[in-house]
Amino acid sequence: MKNRLKVQRAIHELTQADLAEKIGVTRQSINAIEKGKYVPSTVLALKIARLFNEPVENIFTLEDND
Amino acid sequence: METNYLLPNKFKKLGWVLFGLGLLGGVYIYATGLTDEFLKVKVLSIYDNQIFGKRSFFKIVENGIFDELVSVFIIVGGFLVGFTKEKIEDEFIYKLRKDSLVWALIVNYSILLVAILFVYDMTFLHILFFNMFTTLVFFVIRFSVLKYKYLSHEE
Repeated sequence: MKNRLKVQRAIHELTQADLAEKIGVTRQSINAIEKGKYVPSTVLALKIARLFNEPVENIFTLEDND
Repeated sequence: METNYLLPNKFKKLGWVLFGLGLLGGVYIYATGLTDEFLKVKVLSIYDNQIFGKRSFFKIVENGIFDELVSVFIIVGGFLVGFTKEKIEDEFIYKLRKDSLVWALIVNYSILLVAILFVYDMTFLHILFFNMFTTLVFFVIRFSVLKYKYLSHEE
């Protein structure tokens, strides 16, 4: 799964800590998601998408090997 | 993600204190050999089966309880460290905790299997004694390492 989380964060000028605080998760999870080490749950992905006011597929996309 | 089996975060520090003291005590016991003279008090023995046939139930005996205290400290401390809530409990920490548990079980029983096959007599008894604690110790170590690893990753 690919994600454009870092790009979206930059567009909205948020640090990992800022984003984590707004969503209510740890900075570790944001970091792990961006590095591709952790796939967020549906709820978390939807929360992130809603915060950035984007459709979920604009931030998280399936890859061929998923 | 239901984590209502986790204890409040405030017990974590106590957990580390107990766990650390317990481990130090354990190292001390192993290094000096257990002298049962230390902290001798009356305790309740629920079941006892002596080597030459004397069996008893619910007897009060005298026993040096330093080793018991050390064991309780390690176990209770380890559980408090591993099973108290983090400051923020989210799905990622939940995954880290779950993965650490699985890892600790696999590592512990792999080592135990090797020991069963290749270690015998009194030495094996020593390994069994350590094995009482190693799953929990491995879990605490692995969980701490993973938390630190993802904490120290900068952006």
